[in-house]
Amino acid sequence: MNHENDLERLVDHELRRLPTPRAPHTLLPRVMAAVEAWVGRPWYSRAWFTWPVGWQAASVAALVMVIAGAVFFAPRVEAAASGAIAAVQMFAGGVTEAAPVETTAHSARILWRTLLEPLATYALVVVVLMVLACAVFGTALNHVVIERAEQR
Amino acid sequence: MTDVGLFEAFVRRYQDMVYGTAVRLLGSPTEAEDVAQTVFLKAFQRFNEVGASPAAPGWLKTTTRNECLNHLSRYRARWQFFSELTRPDRSGGDYADTLASPFSHALDLEQAELREQLERALRALPDHQRVPLVLFHFEELNYQEIADALGASLGKVKTDIHRGREALRRLLPERS
Repeated sequence: MNHENDLERLVDHELRRLPTPRAPHTLLPRVMAAVEAWVGRPWYSRAWFTWPVGWQAASVAALVMVIAGAVFFAPRVEAAASGAIAAVQMFAGGVTEAAPVETTAHSARILWRTLLEPLATYALVVVVLMVLACAVFGTALNHVVIERAEQR
Repeated sequence: MTDVGLFEAFVRRYQDMVYGTAVRLLGSPTEAEDVAQTVFLKAFQRFNEVGASPAAPGWLKTTTRNECLNHLSRYRARWQFFSELTRPDRSGGDYADTLASPFSHALDLEQAELREQLERALRALPDHQRVPLVLFHFEELNYQEIADALGASLGKVKTDIHRGREALRRLLPERS
């Protein structure tokens, strides 16, 4: 145990006397070139966390609006689709060409009501929650990393 | 947007620290330069938070360390495999014979060059010894933190650090 402690002390002492290695002269130009290339990219092609704050807020608002709109307008779209099908039938005047369109529309409606509609709300809620959780987690992680770095 | 001139001064100020941490952890100047570039690009992306913060050096060190460990993790399976191969109770002399050439030439060098030789010897250690050794002596992590960071057992970390120290000690009597 004493040997181990002595060895630790000796190596620690010697290693701490070593000067910090100097960065090569090529590092600074490389970094600045990489930064210039990054700055040259449009903001929307970078990671979301690096977007301007205004655009982050706008993108979240747009996402919420799209989801809310989808939930709000889904029944109306369905009603409008039914109306369109009825109109097609009227124009067709019972002509047999309208039958496949009607069959397809009915099938789509049944598929929507039986399989997709019951899950759609839950899926939307899960997506919204996951997006919010990712945003909160990313922000929190960012702060934790900064604070931990400050403590060291 | 971030002032590029300010950032350039920031890089000049901290480049030795970032590169030094990376080159000791990775043991390769080329890979260390790649990692240093990645770290500084991340710093630029959040320069408004990091740039003027007193936490900047700590943030850079932590980010560099994490980037290096991520970089090494690609080779971790091979790293642990070779570590296990060297685990049987072999003497330090046997182990030292397997090291790269700086060890075999160290005793022939002038006293003034021994410090540089020690640095080279440190970098020449195999990953599974050099990384925990650097984390302990330069990054000031304790054994448990190192084990957590590397996903290795506490016993393995202690063994690898001990073997790394033994390997370096072979240079030290000449210097003390």
